[in-house]
Amino acid sequence: MLNKLKENYKNSNLQFILTDADGLILDSGQTLMTCEIGTAIGEVHPFFFSIPSIMASTESTTNFHCVQLGSTIDALTADIEVFKKGENILVVIYDLTDHYLSYQAMAQSRNESIIDSELILLKNHELQERERFKNEFIQNFSHELRNPLTNIIALTNILERTDLTTEQERIIKILKESTSNLKLMLEDILSISMIAKGKLALNPSVFNFGQLVDFLRLTYTTRAKEKGLIFTITVDENIPAYIEGDRLRLLQVLTNLCDNAVKYTETGNIALQIDLNQKWANTISLRFGIKDTGAGIPAESLETIFESFEQLGPTEGVGLGLAIVKGLLTLMGSTINIESIAGEGSHFYFDVKFNFPLHQPSLPVLETNKNRKRKKSKDSPKFKVLLVEDNEQVQTALFKMLIDTGDFFIDVVGDGALVMEEIVNNPYDIILMDVNLPNISGDQLVKVIRSFPLKNIKKIPIIGVTAYSYEDQLKTYLKSGMNAVLAKPFDENELLKTMYRFLN
Amino acid sequence: MQISKKVVILGHFGVGKTSLIRRFVENSFTDNYTVSIGVHITKKVVEITADKSVSLILWDLEGTDDLNHVRESYLLGTHGIIYVFDVSRPTTFQEIQQDLAVLENKAPLIPIKVVGNKIDLVIAEEVIEILGNNNISYDFLTSAKTGGKVNDLFEQLAKMLALDAE
Repeated sequence: MLNKLKENYKNSNLQFILTDADGLILDSGQTLMTCEIGTAIGEVHPFFFSIPSIMASTESTTNFHCVQLGSTIDALTADIEVFKKGENILVVIYDLTDHYLSYQAMAQSRNESIIDSELILLKNHELQERERFKNEFIQNFSHELRNPLTNIIALTNILERTDLTTEQERIIKILKESTSNLKLMLEDILSISMIAKGKLALNPSVFNFGQLVDFLRLTYTTRAKEKGLIFTITVDENIPAYIEGDRLRLLQVLTNLCDNAVKYTETGNIALQIDLNQKWANTISLRFGIKDTGAGIPAESLETIFESFEQLGPTEGVGLGLAIVKGLLTLMGSTINIESIAGEGSHFYFDVKFNFPLHQPSLPVLETNKNRKRKKSKDSPKFKVLLVEDNEQVQTALFKMLIDTGDFFIDVVGDGALVMEEIVNNPYDIILMDVNLPNISGDQLVKVIRSFPLKNIKKIPIIGVTAYSYEDQLKTYLKSGMNAVLAKPFDENELLKTMYRFLN
Repeated sequence: MQISKKVVILGHFGVGKTSLIRRFVENSFTDNYTVSIGVHITKKVVEITADKSVSLILWDLEGTDDLNHVRESYLLGTHGIIYVFDVSRPTTFQEIQQDLAVLENKAPLIPIKVVGNKIDLVIAEEVIEILGNNNISYDFLTSAKTGGKVNDLFEQLAKMLALDAE
């Protein structure tokens, strides 16, 4: 009895099958598979079909590992050894189902994790590609808009100075507002594109925090009033008068949030609250909160409103405001938080750390209208300007802008290759030069001028104008030897102010 | 007359080898991914003409990203090979030339059908362009999910093997 049990135990995972050279079963155990004597082994399972031909062409034992002989892996998975025994073939099946089941479980989890990682990588790559394409597209698109917009702004200003009827004045006012909005949108597009490309860096300096608050109060009290809304600002009195940070970018964040609040609020009020979270040594943490009684944001949109070009409804703008806010705050080491109930209003808030000077600093005097006046006296001779610009429309606009001041004689060339000839033959006081010229780029041309052996030529002030307004590009142009670079679209005041700076 | 031919199906893991066979043999499909280990063998008879058929013995091999690891014994006595890649995962086809070279070395003179599976997951035109740009030639773009070109693949291979046998 014991011997029989031992034998059963020993053979429970094993089966021997003996066939002739053609695969006809001569003898077989029946432990794992039913094998009728006299049938072809290929009929038992398709695995065995090729065994006779394999054994005919090989002298040695052949091993097959992990062969699934059942309909599923947990039915019967075995290692199989095939021996040549004289003219016959001996097949030994080792049932290793349990072992291979655990191996399968391991492989399942390993492969799934590898495939998941691959798919995540692919998805990320696809998203990055899409983002890159979008950024490139908007960058090129906004670039293309800059030239015509510069022209519209310039020509509108020129038109404004002509004799106009009241109706025409009204139209010009609308035109100016529209171009101003368009210009702001282009600035937004530039900002988001720079943030996306990691090209935007903060530029911290000490500034008068009270002045920034006053500016916001003045701007948004007026704008809110126009819509019948109430705008309030509450500022913690313990906040130092001067703080150190990127004033421009902080203002950009706050104006974007306030603009949105005004845009999406039809009745009620908008409150900007600035609290002091903490103050230690020369560091403070401020909390900025903008609360409105506007349309609010549906819960399902909260995730996406900070994405570029996402906006809630058919309103003005391109939907970049909150994406800019998010990007700028990330640069400032902060994050935007939002609490909102659709139909009741929204509360955006964020914390930012600033340094502050322990003693009141002496800041450069702000340039006012008074000290911004042109420096040329009425009777002094006109300045001679060389305008280098290939775009005829921009040529016209700039020409009109300059000629209307009565301060300039202007020569125009459209090809960079002609510039050297012009400046050698004519004594110019200043050169106004488009950076993107045919034949030779503006910055290359400037390098040539700056290395010219004649002092009066190599020292001519050169102002570049460009539709490429990334900070690093502007720096490259300045490095090439330009005295100043104006990014399109610029207005008349900006242009003249810059020019007068280098004249006299 | 019926002849039997052994066909080995191999390629990276998760490319849909088992699904292709299941679609062909059982005309079924499941989205659940179950990793195959070792080898699983099934059989299906393909009618070539009224009096001639081929019994395809299909060896579904465990997926691997290195064909050098394929056990030699699995390839013994093989009449045809189907090399499958997943058109939606570039890692499964970016080294296809090396893989095919390994196969030609391991199983010389055995006909190989190269198959891009899961075509239902991608835009076919885009994939064709990508494959073309990377000089990847293939015999079929299939979908085990929809059944697209699956029967064509096996039937064409069966006919070819039948012809070889004559």
